[in-house]
Amino acid sequence: MKTTKRTTVAVLATTAVLALGACSAPQQGGGGGGGQSGEAAEIPSNVRLVVPYASGGGTDTWARFMAPYVEKHVEGEPSVLVENTPGGESITGSNQFVQSGGTNGEDLLVTSGTTYFQALLGQPEVEFDFATMRPLILNGTGGVVYVSSETGIENVSDLADYSDTLVYGGISATGLDLSLLQAMDVLDIDIDATFGFEGRGPARLALERGEINLDYQTTSAYKTQVEPMVEAGTAVPLFSFGVLEDGEIVRDPALPDLPTLEEVVEEVTGEAPSGEAYEAYRAFLIPGYVYQKGIWANEGTPDEIVDAFRAAATAIAEDEEFLASSEDILGGYPLVSGEEAEDDLAEAFQIEEEVRQYTLDMLETQYDVVVETE
Amino acid sequence: MWDAAITALGSFLDPSTLLFLMLGVLAGLIVGVIPGLGGTAAVAILLPFIFVLEPTQAMALLIGSVAVVHSSDTISSVLIGIPGSASASVLLLDGHEMAKQGKAARALSIAFLSSMLGGVIGAIGLTIAIPLARPLVLAFGSPEIFMLTVLGISLTALLSKGNLLKGVLAGVFGVLLGQVGAAPTSPDYRFTFDSLFLTEGLDLVAVALGIFGIAEIIALVARRTAISNVASLGSGWGEGIRDVLQNWTHVLRGGLIGIWAGVLPGVGATAGTWMAYGQAQATAKGKDKKKFGKGDPRGIIAPESANNAVEAGDLIPTLLFGIPGGAPAALLLGALLIYGIEPGPRMITNNLDVIYVIIWSFAIASVVGSILCFLMAKPLSKLAFIRFPLLAAGLIPILFMSGFQEVRQLEIFPIMLALGLLGWLMKIYSIPRAPFLIGFVLSIPLERYYYLTANLYEFSEWAMRPGVLVMAAILAAPLVWALYRKIRPGKAAADGAPVDEDALNDAPVSNVWRLALSIGFLIVFVSAYFMAQSFSDAARLLPNIVTILGAALSVGAIILDLQRMKREGPPSAEDKAAWRAQLRIAALSTAWLVAFVALTYVFGLVVCAAIFAPIFLWRVANARWRTIVLYPIVIVAVLLVMREFLGVVLPIGYIYLGV
Repeated sequence: MKTTKRTTVAVLATTAVLALGACSAPQQGGGGGGGQSGEAAEIPSNVRLVVPYASGGGTDTWARFMAPYVEKHVEGEPSVLVENTPGGESITGSNQFVQSGGTNGEDLLVTSGTTYFQALLGQPEVEFDFATMRPLILNGTGGVVYVSSETGIENVSDLADYSDTLVYGGISATGLDLSLLQAMDVLDIDIDATFGFEGRGPARLALERGEINLDYQTTSAYKTQVEPMVEAGTAVPLFSFGVLEDGEIVRDPALPDLPTLEEVVEEVTGEAPSGEAYEAYRAFLIPGYVYQKGIWANEGTPDEIVDAFRAAATAIAEDEEFLASSEDILGGYPLVSGEEAEDDLAEAFQIEEEVRQYTLDMLETQYDVVVETE
Repeated sequence: MWDAAITALGSFLDPSTLLFLMLGVLAGLIVGVIPGLGGTAAVAILLPFIFVLEPTQAMALLIGSVAVVHSSDTISSVLIGIPGSASASVLLLDGHEMAKQGKAARALSIAFLSSMLGGVIGAIGLTIAIPLARPLVLAFGSPEIFMLTVLGISLTALLSKGNLLKGVLAGVFGVLLGQVGAAPTSPDYRFTFDSLFLTEGLDLVAVALGIFGIAEIIALVARRTAISNVASLGSGWGEGIRDVLQNWTHVLRGGLIGIWAGVLPGVGATAGTWMAYGQAQATAKGKDKKKFGKGDPRGIIAPESANNAVEAGDLIPTLLFGIPGGAPAALLLGALLIYGIEPGPRMITNNLDVIYVIIWSFAIASVVGSILCFLMAKPLSKLAFIRFPLLAAGLIPILFMSGFQEVRQLEIFPIMLALGLLGWLMKIYSIPRAPFLIGFVLSIPLERYYYLTANLYEFSEWAMRPGVLVMAAILAAPLVWALYRKIRPGKAAADGAPVDEDALNDAPVSNVWRLALSIGFLIVFVSAYFMAQSFSDAARLLPNIVTILGAALSVGAIILDLQRMKREGPPSAEDKAAWRAQLRIAALSTAWLVAFVALTYVFGLVVCAAIFAPIFLWRVANARWRTIVLYPIVIVAVLLVMREFLGVVLPIGYIYLGV
């Protein structure tokens, strides 16, 4: 009998702990207290860069590359530490940051395009709002859309006459792939998209194997991996995503020979792109690529602290050592202070309901992808 | 080509390069010894240095650590039956079995020598592969990778001795558990019960430590005996070396499988080592096959040669295609970029010297790492002779700490505990846990590559590809063979009698519980089936197949269990008492673990360990007062040192007491 009792107790206790775990576990990380309003804000002596992605990934590498320069150029030379809180398409870590990151500058969030897209699409789990958070240091990237030469397409103007359906390999329709889907929507080209690839690398291999024939790569991957294919005659570049200059999307200086999507549309239709499809494309492109990587502070962080980091952004962008080694890791895209980007970003994150709805509808009707929104 | 190789070797004449290589090796070895910590943790320690070193030095440091993690993770698997990393769980079979028979020295020397040779094979493979790999990798498309994942899961399940049905059942259950989290092919979350924590899926390290490590603690902690009942390490060092030399073909085969598992996306070290084990067992003949799992040297040689080679294979897609296979490779990629070296097709022409620095580093590190392991093994092997409860006082916090590292959420603790209970039940009822782990690891790749295959090819197109046909044949062979033996009844009676694995588990077990466990599986599969109906079409496909298959297998298991109950009749009073005793031990151990988890929730891991360890040592381990005082101090110190120097994160609780 004694056994049964003990077993029962153990089972009950286990159930209790399991239930406890299911309800709420103590918050990990965070802990930086809130900034006291009224008092003069001080630059913290320790800064933690919270990366909501796994260690070793693109965003993590970017953050770790930036850390020593932030250390060197922020007033008071605080020590900078990188910490990863991966999970849930970066929602987990970003939510945690908003809840417990504080406003004294001790904790800062590192973001990437995927994080932004979840907010723009209105995923119900998202608790962060980039429209009110403070951008400090930003850095963009570009991308190139290309096809396999097996399609017979020789340049972008052949695209309109292409009789077959292009086959695209993507990771997830709600991730960075979205910009490509939107670009094709702007061009009014139906594609056959299969999602589920592990990353852009495996998708590129699938193109080389002939499993897919339409792909895009970020500029650095394009230059190292796809350009040799272009030289060998197995791949044909179509257009680049371009960069933002005074509110206009213009040719990417890193890819001077490639037209932007805007140029392609103009060439085909004779006028600048407009309409719902283009508005949606642009709404996601600016946060997704033009300001893809960023360091952010919570809403309510005092101006003294925000300004210190923004000043550092400008100083880092002029640092000789940084310039010399950043060419490869940042793909030649300039570092921008949050001050410069704030207006563009605030506009981008106040996404119009119609634009969001258009995008959700496009995903649903063309790709059978239903995003649960609130 | 050779010029570049020699020039690269010359760079090791520079003492600083060699120094950093050795530092990397040391870091890798230390991290590998700690149960549950592996390549990713090694990377975490080295991260701060990567960005400030010269390229050659940084490469040497990184490769040094990555190359040896799988040499030292063997130690805890073999000696204390707790997996040193997820991929080292395969050593629990023959390696740990040998240690229990008092042949720990032999097992370890086999493991280290195989590791060394596996690493060297990996380095040679890398050298040869550089010009050849590109067409090979490109020839292996989605259909082939899909078939390989099916083969990996089925092979481990089919090879489960005497318990085929339950082996497959365990494999299917592993696949189902692997489905938790974000679906790979559509933006669905599956089986997350609305918890954000589960959206990332369950972490492999936590699952492996739960199902093997915690299970071991539940079984052993209250039993108060040492792991090995033999009082010495046994000599056997020379014998181990002879074993390896005699089975050199297994070294070669294991190494090649390892390289290939590393090259292909989605396969990885854990599946690679188990596949190497599977092929060694599958190709053994007749009676010889039955020695596997009972301390057969080949059961150590094949996986140990494979796991070091996996890391070398992993470098091929990293360097040639710029596609990292895991966190260490991703970091290597980042480091190369910083130095202006761009991995990709041009690297062979532009930076061949760097490639050779990497290859030489790998080879040198493998050799040095294994030698250091030989030296470490003697003192460390005394662990096997310590009473288990004493060991457990330190192991419990370390196991949970390791499971926490990737996840960084405390919810993983109760999940590890639940998996530990499941692992214990599977252990006493001889349900093989290997297919479970492989099913879990390969669940998402299986789904991903099935989906890609089905969407990118016509069925007639992909099913007829030569690679697919070859793997289908390998898969079908054991089934055809089994059928053939059934048709010839005379022969079947002679050697077809199933090996009753229960013989390994001497304590009597309750048939009612066995039946309850099978019913439990049925309930899980049926409820999962109904839950899956709310997913989108793409996300529902695999869960549907898995749950229906699992439910059918569970019904089969229930029928077998009922037949067994009828055959064996009610248990004798003696057996009943023995079963109750076993149950009491497990319940007591579980209660201690529950207390540990609850304490961590309240105070965080460090304070919890400081409170838990002395009480545990006093009540369970009956330790002397000096041990009760000093040992917990050591545990807390080790945890803090790991936090300070190894980049380990320790969970905090509701009440924060400063640590």
